[in-house]
Amino acid sequence: MSVFDSTIQGLDNSMDLRLMNQNVISSNIANADTPGYKSKKVEFEGALRQALAVDGNLPLEGNSPEHIVIQGNGPVTAAVADDTNGVESLDGNTVNRSEEMAKMVENQLLYDAAAEMLKKKLGMLKYSISEGGGNR
Amino acid sequence: MDFFSSMRVSASGLEAQTKRMNTISSNIANAETTQVEGQDGPYKRKDAIFTATTDKENFGEILNNQLDQQIQGVLVEDIHEDTAPPRMVYNPSHPDSNEEGYVAMPNVNMIEETANMISAQRSYEANVTAMNAAKAMAAKALEIGK
Repeated sequence: MSVFDSTIQGLDNSMDLRLMNQNVISSNIANADTPGYKSKKVEFEGALRQALAVDGNLPLEGNSPEHIVIQGNGPVTAAVADDTNGVESLDGNTVNRSEEMAKMVENQLLYDAAAEMLKKKLGMLKYSISEGGGNR
Repeated sequence: MDFFSSMRVSASGLEAQTKRMNTISSNIANAETTQVEGQDGPYKRKDAIFTATTDKENFGEILNNQLDQQIQGVLVEDIHEDTAPPRMVYNPSHPDSNEEGYVAMPNVNMIEETANMISAQRSYEANVTAMNAAKAMAAKALEIGK
């Protein structure tokens, strides 16, 4: 049991992925008028599930100190790929501007939520470090 | 992969849309121009050609992060001249009229230019929104641990 538990790690990974998503969405919006540009998307939910270890691949249980237990998941990798659902316009561009804007707002909110939760988690740690006497 | 690559991409979008807006302004301003310095015939409609470029700040960044290959900014590659034929208007008193009394007017279509202008404006706004979103996210991240 570490001070920084898997929730903090999960939130950290989640924020990394959301940032990557933001970069990809910015790229799509900037290229909304570029002929032949294909809309990109982050293969996201799968990577996040893997990061939070809720993909059904449970970690190994170690009930003896001699067991080797693989801890953590390491850095999360998410693939950026062309969005195959895009409708091609006359110039070969597949960016849907309103969809990108909606995705960006959603992504931003979820990023903020993760940041807020991380803040609360660290606030709790701070509270226990100061033996409940701190200002938080 | 950081906040600044997102902002750089949005900035490239803003710059490209500004250049596009400049060409549209030029087209509208010259919609009735029959003479161009160093060129025969009337003004020819200009069009900004966009191309997607990989966001790269320096060599190390590219080397370190292959993922950034997918984060693409936009660049005005060329200002293309429209090769559509000029609009012929009958006006024998005009100094640039030909033997039959027709004047070659620019191949600028006002309605098309206005539509392009609105499109450029909206794209510019979308890029500003994207940049603001990245900025808000960065500010939120700085709040952690406060």
